[in-house]
Amino acid sequence: MGRIDVEKMPYEEYTNRQLLLIPLAVLGVALLVLVGAYFLTGTPVDLGMEFTGGTEIRLDAQGASGDEVRETFSSLDTESIQGVGTGNSYLLSTQETDTSAFEQAASESGYVVQSVESTSASFGSDSQREALIGMVAAFVGMSLLVALAFRSFIPSLAVVASAFSDIVIPVALMNLFGIELGLGAVAALLMIIGYSVDSDILLNNHVLRRHGSFYESTYRAMRTGISMTLTSIAAMVTMFVVATLFGIPLLDSIALILVFGLTADLMNTYLLNVSLLRWYKYEGVK
Amino acid sequence: MVDVRDNWRILMLVVLCFVAALALFGPLGAGGGETGLADNQTISDPTNLQYGLQLSGGARIRGSLVGQTAENVEFAGTSTQSIESTVASELGVDPIDVTARPGQPGTVELFASSENISQQRFASALNSAGLDVSADDIRNGVTDATRDRATDILQSRVDQTGLSGASVTTVSAATGGEFIIVEAPGEDRESLRELIGSAGRVQVVAGYPDPNNDTAPQMDPILDQGDFANIQGATRTSDGGSVGVTLTEEAAEPFAEKMISAGFTREGLGNCDFDAATDDPSPNEHCLYTVVDGEIVYGAAMGDLADSIDPGQSGDYSGFLANPAFQINTNSYEEAQRLSINLEAGSLPTTLEIESSEFLSPSFAQAFKPLALVTGLLAWLAVSAVVYFWYRDVRVAIPMLATATSEVFLLLGFAAAVGLALDLSHIAGLIAVIGTGLDDLIIMADEILQRKEEVKTGRVFQSRFRKAFWVIGIAAGTTIIAMSPLAVLSLGDLQGFAIITIVGVIIGVAVTRPAYGDVLRKLMLEDVKRK
Repeated sequence: MGRIDVEKMPYEEYTNRQLLLIPLAVLGVALLVLVGAYFLTGTPVDLGMEFTGGTEIRLDAQGASGDEVRETFSSLDTESIQGVGTGNSYLLSTQETDTSAFEQAASESGYVVQSVESTSASFGSDSQREALIGMVAAFVGMSLLVALAFRSFIPSLAVVASAFSDIVIPVALMNLFGIELGLGAVAALLMIIGYSVDSDILLNNHVLRRHGSFYESTYRAMRTGISMTLTSIAAMVTMFVVATLFGIPLLDSIALILVFGLTADLMNTYLLNVSLLRWYKYEGVK
Repeated sequence: MVDVRDNWRILMLVVLCFVAALALFGPLGAGGGETGLADNQTISDPTNLQYGLQLSGGARIRGSLVGQTAENVEFAGTSTQSIESTVASELGVDPIDVTARPGQPGTVELFASSENISQQRFASALNSAGLDVSADDIRNGVTDATRDRATDILQSRVDQTGLSGASVTTVSAATGGEFIIVEAPGEDRESLRELIGSAGRVQVVAGYPDPNNDTAPQMDPILDQGDFANIQGATRTSDGGSVGVTLTEEAAEPFAEKMISAGFTREGLGNCDFDAATDDPSPNEHCLYTVVDGEIVYGAAMGDLADSIDPGQSGDYSGFLANPAFQINTNSYEEAQRLSINLEAGSLPTTLEIESSEFLSPSFAQAFKPLALVTGLLAWLAVSAVVYFWYRDVRVAIPMLATATSEVFLLLGFAAAVGLALDLSHIAGLIAVIGTGLDDLIIMADEILQRKEEVKTGRVFQSRFRKAFWVIGIAAGTTIIAMSPLAVLSLGDLQGFAIITIVGVIIGVAVTRPAYGDVLRKLMLEDVKRK
């Protein structure tokens, strides 16, 4: 059978500390970005309209240029106006929730209003709290299930730590790329929990519950795991590119965040998780 | 020969796919139903799938009822009327804005936000009414009974406007809030907002000269929603619109007496010149004002009705009592239509404060249907290429892709069967399901097709299959656990995403992945034979 193999990682040549250094450094930088953003803006990540309140209006400018569109709304209190998709659509955001002035200005200029979404500030902050509760509950639930499955501290910790890092790194990247945290992003971050534990559990399972040497087991888990993650990344990259070209909301941000998370997962599983497992296997208290 | 015992999992998958096909295309689906869209607004679709707002267009408004509730109140013999009137006069609000409900224990609701009247003030007003209540017993929000009534009224309002496919539902948020969601396909946002955003309380107020005050007229509310026995609907008039109503017997007599004693049928006849946009009620005129939610929308003198109430100034209104018909006037026909709906459906107990609203134009939203399909297909092609790259063996790759595809097909069948309205979030969920599904299939293929041992019997397959399934089971469990908070929370879009992902994972673990196991078993045994 022509199964393509992945490169063997020369784990033997590096100490656990050396292996841990990279993922922990990346995680540290990511946390620094979040803390920095928190002190600069008051939130660790830029929150979307669904969480802060306000309105997003998407309109088809019928051929008008970006500057003309900006001119149309210049007398109104807009936060930003951005082009979306490949067509002539623009996304206008504002803190106002009474949008009649905007809709009137749009129709006077002959623009077609495609969608209007608005959220009151109080409802936004409720959603914020609710989303946070959901994220924490999901993470705690996942941790408990992992602990129950492996019934030993270090291997469970390895899975949970790498899932944590898989979530924190994309959030930091969202800051750097200027992606707002909306409902779609929350869904994507939760999806990362689901995707990331797959390869971690696979690795733990091969190392702890199989016969054979540590390196042999790791290698076999890696072959399967890397195939899985790269396949998922391929799906998500495609989804991101296509959704961006078509200007489909929600799908583009979900896809991009999953690409970030899955890439972070490759690093975390095969550096952080592997080194923790090796330490547990050879030096740890059993 | 196909051995049923060895291949029952594949057979089950085929049967379920057939059932899903029936649900999608045949008679098993929940039915398309009326979408409320004109034919030219919809793109024809051969399936029974139903689409939500994001893929079919329309407006959705989420709001909460304004009010605060004192709970666990012991009424101790005090009548609800006296509580309501005492509290209302203490707080300076209309008695209709206070509702006391006896029970074990009772509740008192105040239909004003705590920003306007603090919980402290509400509590002290309740104390003046002889009730032992502290500010701690008061929460924001209204009672279930009030919310149910409001939901019924809103439903009847949307029904009467002929918004087919419109729905009114309530959801509760994990953080305690209760929301009412009104959704109308194809309807534009402003008209939906107008329809539900107001309490819709209609009154007729008699304004006439006050002998003791020459700067402001005497204003007496004389007719209320409850005084109308029959509503005939809106009609066009020369200067606007009007709604014909019939008064109840109980309301007709005091109304006629008031009209005569206040002079509407005599000296005040025709003495009203009022424009709601510019004027305040004049102290010298006899006007009947139409008041909606406390705002005067129209004022006019009594017309022909005077002949029926007070024929020849005789004061004999028996003719009116025999046919107590009355016209409520408005500035426009549209306003009259809205008024008629409000009268018919009744007024909301309190205002619905709009928390979030969404509007998507039908043509814009429906364009996403094919685009989302193309996105899914391209993602599927990308995955196929990568899977083929890994295995270089069509015997592994094709069943793997077929299994993943059947998973999506089953999910769509499920959506059609239960009548789930698909939105973009569900599409994202579907693509996520393909992703985790393929991950699991790769785990199974690698586990079962490993080459290191000589295998002789199906027992090796069983043990490998079980090992692979342990990993898959735990991974599926974590995905379900990670998604379940979203499935319960009322975070709009995310609920659909979570539900699709969870159902997809369950279908995958229970049906499609075991079936792929059977395919792999065959491949494994073939490999053995060749060695």
